[in-house]
Amino acid sequence: MLTLLPQLLISGISTGMLYALIALSMTVVYRATTVVNFGHGDMVAAGAYAVFVFGLGFGLPFLVALALAIVLLFAVGFATQRLLLQPIVGGPHLSLAMMALAIGYTLRGVLRLEWGNETINPQRPYLQDAYMFGNVVITTDDVVICGIVLLLLVVLFLLFQATPLGKVIQATFQSQRGAALVGINVPLFHAFMWGGGTALGAIGGVMLSMIAPLTPDLGQWTLVQGFAAMTLGGFGSLGGAVVGGILLGIIQKLLGFYLNTVFIEITGYLVPIVVLLLRPQGLFGRRAAVRV
Amino acid sequence: MRIKYAVLTAIATILALPASADNTQGIAESTIKIGNLGPFSGPQSTFTPLNYGAEAYLRYINEQGGVNGHKFVTVFADDSCNEAKGIGAAKKLIYEDKVFMIMSNPCSGVAMAIKPTLVQEGVPWIGASANPKISRPTSPGIFHATYTGIESGRAMASFAMGKPSTTKIALAMHSDDWAHGYCDNATDYIRSHNGDIVATTVLEHGATDGTAQALQIKASGAQAVMACLYQPELIVLLRELQKFQINVIIVGALGADFNQVVQAFPNHDWLNQRFFQPYQFKARLGTGPLKKYHDIFVKYLTKDELPKVGEPTNFYYFGVPAAIVTVEAFRRAGPNPTRESWEKAMESLRDFDTGVLADTETFGPDKHVGVEKMYAVGLNAQGQETVYRAWGDALPETE
Repeated sequence: MLTLLPQLLISGISTGMLYALIALSMTVVYRATTVVNFGHGDMVAAGAYAVFVFGLGFGLPFLVALALAIVLLFAVGFATQRLLLQPIVGGPHLSLAMMALAIGYTLRGVLRLEWGNETINPQRPYLQDAYMFGNVVITTDDVVICGIVLLLLVVLFLLFQATPLGKVIQATFQSQRGAALVGINVPLFHAFMWGGGTALGAIGGVMLSMIAPLTPDLGQWTLVQGFAAMTLGGFGSLGGAVVGGILLGIIQKLLGFYLNTVFIEITGYLVPIVVLLLRPQGLFGRRAAVRV
Repeated sequence: MRIKYAVLTAIATILALPASADNTQGIAESTIKIGNLGPFSGPQSTFTPLNYGAEAYLRYINEQGGVNGHKFVTVFADDSCNEAKGIGAAKKLIYEDKVFMIMSNPCSGVAMAIKPTLVQEGVPWIGASANPKISRPTSPGIFHATYTGIESGRAMASFAMGKPSTTKIALAMHSDDWAHGYCDNATDYIRSHNGDIVATTVLEHGATDGTAQALQIKASGAQAVMACLYQPELIVLLRELQKFQINVIIVGALGADFNQVVQAFPNHDWLNQRFFQPYQFKARLGTGPLKKYHDIFVKYLTKDELPKVGEPTNFYYFGVPAAIVTVEAFRRAGPNPTRESWEKAMESLRDFDTGVLADTETFGPDKHVGVEKMYAVGLNAQGQETVYRAWGDALPETE
């Protein structure tokens, strides 16, 4: 059974990278606005459908369809924040979470109206090949997913750590009132970050639809995994989101194979329970201090 | 004072009781009202072609003039494959819309949940859900004109074990009642025919990856897999088995549409002579006797009710037998049907050929599941969809 361990690790990393991408996009929104977007999974699915519509519906080349989908989902995220969240931003945090959840369900309902009774095989921009390295199989999807996530991680890291925008994000994350006092248009900034996070999620949705059939419920499973990855890595930490995603992917594969396949589903729920009890700040998050 | 309380209590009790359905509810001078219950929204709405298939046939019959002077009027109700919502939808059909019967109802969980209400109110039901407990043991007015998990589970196992020397079987399944309905019956068949279950793997709803399951199947040395999975998860598992080049035959359950599964593999050579499903029909879809129904779907269903892409798929055809048998029972029940006369007519059907299913329908007072024999469908060595009577025994092609 140990001969399959390298394969399980490689597959775990590949799946984990996908979780990491979802967690990254949720982290971008959280880091800027301190809101966990519980509707994010459905925005991920909407991104995949947008590429499908632009690609197969309008006959556009894949990269054009992808670019349009990213722009569209950015607009969806931006509008969501401006029109639906901003009006209640002064209310309890729970209201924001409930609003995000409700938006997600609405989006899913709309997708089901049109595509609820079929699974879709979306356009594939590259041929799927499998490469053998001894007993280990690596597919084109594995390589593409890992490559894109690493690239996005580098871009986001540079953006957050080495640009003036990164300082704005950090300032707003630490104190919205303070950021406003130094002239930052916090509501507009929040809308941009919602747009950015949603667009990133759309890329995740497209990658996901390469390995799993496209259905309106595509994002449900990934939301749980993305949230678990975020919790494991530490809320607000970009590197933590990636490490958390990869670890989660590997843990699922190992528990699923060596113990029982039922663990694959429940790992996404067990991890937050264990982490929140033992290390609430996650692997790379900062311990929150409340001044009284 | 005591009398006043007694009267008030009696009135309150009467008001609290739902209006009980009478035995001609839904039958008017020139119409028969049918409730068509299904998952028109929600994650299981891939089953709605079963609802539309039945509806297409009723519209076709209406255009022929109806049955004994009655035309069918359908009231659709959405259950989202959710038990609580299904109970509400069924009660609305029975007490508000006052339908004669409930048809289609592909979701087993909902069918089991509404069964007590149907039995209490005496409302007939003829559905496509797979749970055998709905119609076994028999209940008045409740019939299966299509295959349940018992017939399908046995068909899955017997087809796989028909391949010479195939005895090691793995199960890949959801953990719900629906999947057990297929896989438990397949397991019984396998064990009673000297086969072994060498692995049992679980793939839950919504899973986007099946690596661990595929590798468990590989490590078990299984020769065949009984895949009691819904369509998206079946596709996920097939892709993983393909990725790791695991040389097994895979027999899916009826929770997935064969054609849609094949369409999910742009290059489906790997599926040739490897992926099969129990097959309900007497010919390939859209050919021979099934051509008539293809034309009915295209003519009588709206654009929204037909597939967005491609031809009507398996589930459209699988929805039809419930409607055919229902219409035949009304024909036999005469111009003034009642629940009792309709049920008696149903139980009088012997070797009734629907023109659709692989088996003929035979019902009786102690037999409310009409069909047993099934075929299998798969892609032959050339990648052509082929119907098999048994492993290696292809059904002759009909035009």
